[in-house]
Amino acid sequence: MYQKSPTKEWTSNVVRYKKFSGSWAWLLHRITGLGLTVYVLVHINTLASLQEGPEAFNAKMQVFMQPHWVFAAWILFGLVIYHTLNGIRIVIIDFGKGAKYHKQLLYGAVAIGLIVFLWMGYIMFFGHDEHDFLSRAVSFFS
Amino acid sequence: MEYKYMGSRGSGSMSWFLQRISGIVLVFVIVGHFILMHYNPEMGHSFDRVYERMQNPYYQMLQIAFVVLALYHGLQGVWNIYRDFKFPSWLNLTVFSLLIVLGVGFGALGIANILHF
Ligand code: HEM
Ligand code: HEM
Repeated sequence: MYQKSPTKEWTSNVVRYKKFSGSWAWLLHRITGLGLTVYVLVHINTLASLQEGPEAFNAKMQVFMQPHWVFAAWILFGLVIYHTLNGIRIVIIDFGKGAKYHKQLLYGAVAIGLIVFLWMGYIMFFGHDEHDFLSRAVSFFS
Repeated sequence: MEYKYMGSRGSGSMSWFLQRISGIVLVFVIVGHFILMHYNPEMGHSFDRVYERMQNPYYQMLQIAFVVLALYHGLQGVWNIYRDFKFPSWLNLTVFSLLIVLGVGFGALGIANILHF
């Protein structure tokens, strides 16, 4: 059947549909996925300055070390951690027996996500201890 | 239009599967990337640090895999969202081609960024 304005209809269906926790999870997964895709394209483009040498790259990165950009990066991390944890939840539901406890998985993911998000914010804004485990792991790999 | 049953082939089940596999691999790469880039601001924002990492060919291979997987997963995801809407077929072809061009273009740029070292 031909619909006059399928897009409008899809949107209003999504808006009108009574949303359970799973529908919010789905909608947020979409939004964060789209956001991350746009970010990756911009990111690769910014990193192209690596090819122009140290001055060009460092000048660009100096900008991103300003506090409001650090804040933006933290929000970006929020998108990443939500999409990642909910992505894991989707895979468990699809490949495992997760459908039986998908709600608990969601609450768990949100709880873990919030903790990691706050922890990351602490590290990004207030620095870190050079002798703790993660610090050593990071310097090992770099 | 005549409907031809093709089993699960051509139904998008392969991209559904690959979306999950690429997602699982991305978990490790992306979490590692974020910690590496932010644990200490210099790590993610200084040419010298990037240069040092890129001296390791395994790190370069990992980064290339990251570019390819992130672009594949992200653009495939956009296509998946687009397919939820009903649009004229000329637009389908245009959007699909655009996504391919974006993937190949940014993929080449991203890999060039890495191999430049
Ligand atoms: C960190 C690891 C990640 C995991 C575990 C993951 C997992 C998933 C899964 C399982 C889906 C399918 C959802 C569905 O079919 O309902 C999905 C969709 C998507 N992902 Fe990811 N993903 C990850 C990272 C990323 C990244 C880095 C990007 C951006 C480059 C991205 C962009 C998208 C987009 C645009 C969709 C489509 C959303 C939709 O169909 O509603 N994802 N992700
Ligand atoms: C704001 C936080 C981030 C910073 C500061 C950052 C920084 C960097 C840097 C310096 C590189 C150069 C290669 C290297 O040193 O390993 C890089 C590469 C890369 N990053 Fe990020 N990154 C961030 C977040 C992300 C996120 C969230 C994603 C995925 C969605 C991502 C995806 C990539 C990819 C695919 C590459 C390889 C790109 C290329 O070769 O051109 N990054 N990042």
